[in-house]
Amino acid sequence: MDFNLSEEQETLQEMACDFIRERWPADCAREALDKRPAVIGADVWQEILEMGWLGVAAGEDVGGIGGDVLTAAVLSQEAGRGLLPGPFQSSLIAALAVDRSGNDAIRSELVPQLIDGSLRATVAIEEPGGRYGPDAIAAKVRADADGWRLTGSKLLVPDADSAALLIVGAQTPDGLGWVRVRADAQGVEIRKMERMDAQSCSEVVFENAPVEGDALLGDERSLREAYDIWTVLLAADLLGSAEASLELTRRYAIERVQFGRPIGTFQAVSHRLANHLVDVEIGRSLLYGACLALDEKRDNAAPLVSAAKAWLSDAAVAAAESALQIHGGVGFTWEYDVHLHMRRSRCNAAILGDADYHRDRVADYMDESWVPPVKA
Amino acid sequence: MDLTFSEEDEAYRAELRQWLSDNIGGGGGGGGESANAMMKRAESSDESKNDPLAGARAWPRTLHDAGYVGLAWPKAYGGQDASFTQQVICADEMARVRTPPLINTIGLSIIGPTLVQHGTEEQKKRFLPRILRADDLWCQGFSEPEAGSDLASLRCRAEIDGDEFVVNGQKVWTSLAPISDWIFMLVRTDPDAPKREGISYLLADMKTPGITVRPLRNAAGGSHFSEVFFDNVRVPREHLVGELNGGWQIARSSLDHERSGLSGVVALEETLGRLWRMASNLDRGDHKAVEEPSTRRALAQHWIEIEGLRHLGFRTLSNQIAGKPPGAGSSVGKLFASETRNQLTRTALRVEGPLAPIAKRSPHVVDRGRWHAAYFDALAHSIGGGTSEVMRNVIAEKVLELPRPAED
Repeated sequence: MDFNLSEEQETLQEMACDFIRERWPADCAREALDKRPAVIGADVWQEILEMGWLGVAAGEDVGGIGGDVLTAAVLSQEAGRGLLPGPFQSSLIAALAVDRSGNDAIRSELVPQLIDGSLRATVAIEEPGGRYGPDAIAAKVRADADGWRLTGSKLLVPDADSAALLIVGAQTPDGLGWVRVRADAQGVEIRKMERMDAQSCSEVVFENAPVEGDALLGDERSLREAYDIWTVLLAADLLGSAEASLELTRRYAIERVQFGRPIGTFQAVSHRLANHLVDVEIGRSLLYGACLALDEKRDNAAPLVSAAKAWLSDAAVAAAESALQIHGGVGFTWEYDVHLHMRRSRCNAAILGDADYHRDRVADYMDESWVPPVKA
Repeated sequence: MDLTFSEEDEAYRAELRQWLSDNIGGGGGGGGESANAMMKRAESSDESKNDPLAGARAWPRTLHDAGYVGLAWPKAYGGQDASFTQQVICADEMARVRTPPLINTIGLSIIGPTLVQHGTEEQKKRFLPRILRADDLWCQGFSEPEAGSDLASLRCRAEIDGDEFVVNGQKVWTSLAPISDWIFMLVRTDPDAPKREGISYLLADMKTPGITVRPLRNAAGGSHFSEVFFDNVRVPREHLVGELNGGWQIARSSLDHERSGLSGVVALEETLGRLWRMASNLDRGDHKAVEEPSTRRALAQHWIEIEGLRHLGFRTLSNQIAGKPPGAGSSVGKLFASETRNQLTRTALRVEGPLAPIAKRSPHVVDRGRWHAAYFDALAHSIGGGTSEVMRNVIAEKVLELPRPAED
């Protein structure tokens, strides 16, 4: 029984935290709001690649270090805390999606390139139409005389403008699953979008675009698993952001003096912060539980992933809003970091399923497979 | 990271599980009464008759004979010297099958561990075995009318007179006082010292002349707690626990005996299961309540909260097994568990909708009115054992390290 981070994970977490604070200070995220989009600079990106961050959870046989989902989540958490933008997370999930695709040939060919950065890829799932998740995927692959062709539209695809390869969830002749499409292929139109926090994303429209290999990259199982892994990485990002908001506010509540005493001595302030601390600790617990369930492929992995995402979506936004309120006037200034976390958490809370979508997934699980204990 | 136990611990679990199924299923438990039912029966019985609580004492004795109480206590005083992991497994398995409540639970969970840690050899020998077998039932005399959340301002005083303390004052919210044999209490022994430094920890026989118990009817209609009055009550000096004027630290440490809280999770999950079934059966015109998005999301949110609590418990437990301090887990767990319980029963009454006001034994009552009782019960949990506001103070000071408001 050991439900805490390992020493290796704790070390990685500290290193990542220090690295991001030094190489991507909050001012970078602030400046990017005026000089959009927010993207990691080439030199910092190169260092991240050299540290092997994209391969922490990928298999050793394909150039990774064979860690688990939790190790990847720890990095995402630090990205959230340090406001690190793309293409970090999209590259991480792209590598993981291929690593866990079940397609051995493609995996051994692509994952090493995805980890060392020689191939930039991103993942496309969500579509216009107002519904979340794999069940809302309508993009369709037809098999015609020339091979497989993809038609459909994907929304909020992160870092698509800099990716060479798109990993796309679609309905195919072989069922729901992943397909690969080159970003520069005919019939692919990338319409740049930006998020509230200036991170880059795009709408990608496919019009009879050729599918690489004329075959599935991964089946429905692998698509759903990758969706859950990506969701849990976003939950980790939200946790990091919530912790950052809480820590900013905690420090301010200690330093700021009004009515002759630190505002942290007022229960209107301290109890609010205590509630956020509870939210953060519950969120961290759910995140660890979801990661472990994914790694052990347990039956309740999907509802635990949804639990973590629903909880942390609410918790991170609430912590950012309290941060702004408790900072008062200065919290509403451009120079303070409060709004940076507000922007990031607001975006991530609404991506890959908002809290209500994930509560619905939990309710469906309760309906179908939950067996509560019954009093003897 | 893993959630498995060693083979030895799993063997212990299997043995316990078998024992529980042999001893509970067929009504072998004996004393499955609520505290209120026990109290009622004790009140209505004629004192001269044989022990009216014999039935309620049977279950803890059965458990004791099998070696499943006092796990953390030394063998010399009837305990088991069991490992921390085994204590957790035991609490977990008992919660899983919802073993009957233990009439000596205050003794087992509060004063027993306190005596193990701070008692004299004589106190341990005299009291611990009798707590384990439910020969002595204990109640707690901490709160006073003027000392609730601000417990350290308590005024019940004890003056030394030869080999005795003479106690005068009043305690309140004393659970199970009418059926208790002994009370452990905090008394002021030095009125001139700073308030936390003039408090002592005393044990008193409830049959001592000068002690009067007056049951208080609670908001839910039961009489689970009482006022206890002390009028020149003489307590032998050997019933002092720890040092004179050292009682505050002892009382604080007894609050740390809290477990990882995992056993509470099973009870919450069972309650949520019951709520889900209620919503699944409840008609809303042409559909069932559970089909409504607002209901589904509310119940899913409770599932999420309970899983959060369970996994927080795993973290606390891991720290404790590794011999580290429990971390933020215990105060966070207490606060979040009682808030979750409040929210869950609130949701139940909301889901009942127009049927929510209907009292038990009336036509159309939902689940025989159990949600009314559960609602009141939950509200009591965010007050007793440290209010939620006090828990937030603790988190603010101990975890967030915010400055303490000026006091005294």
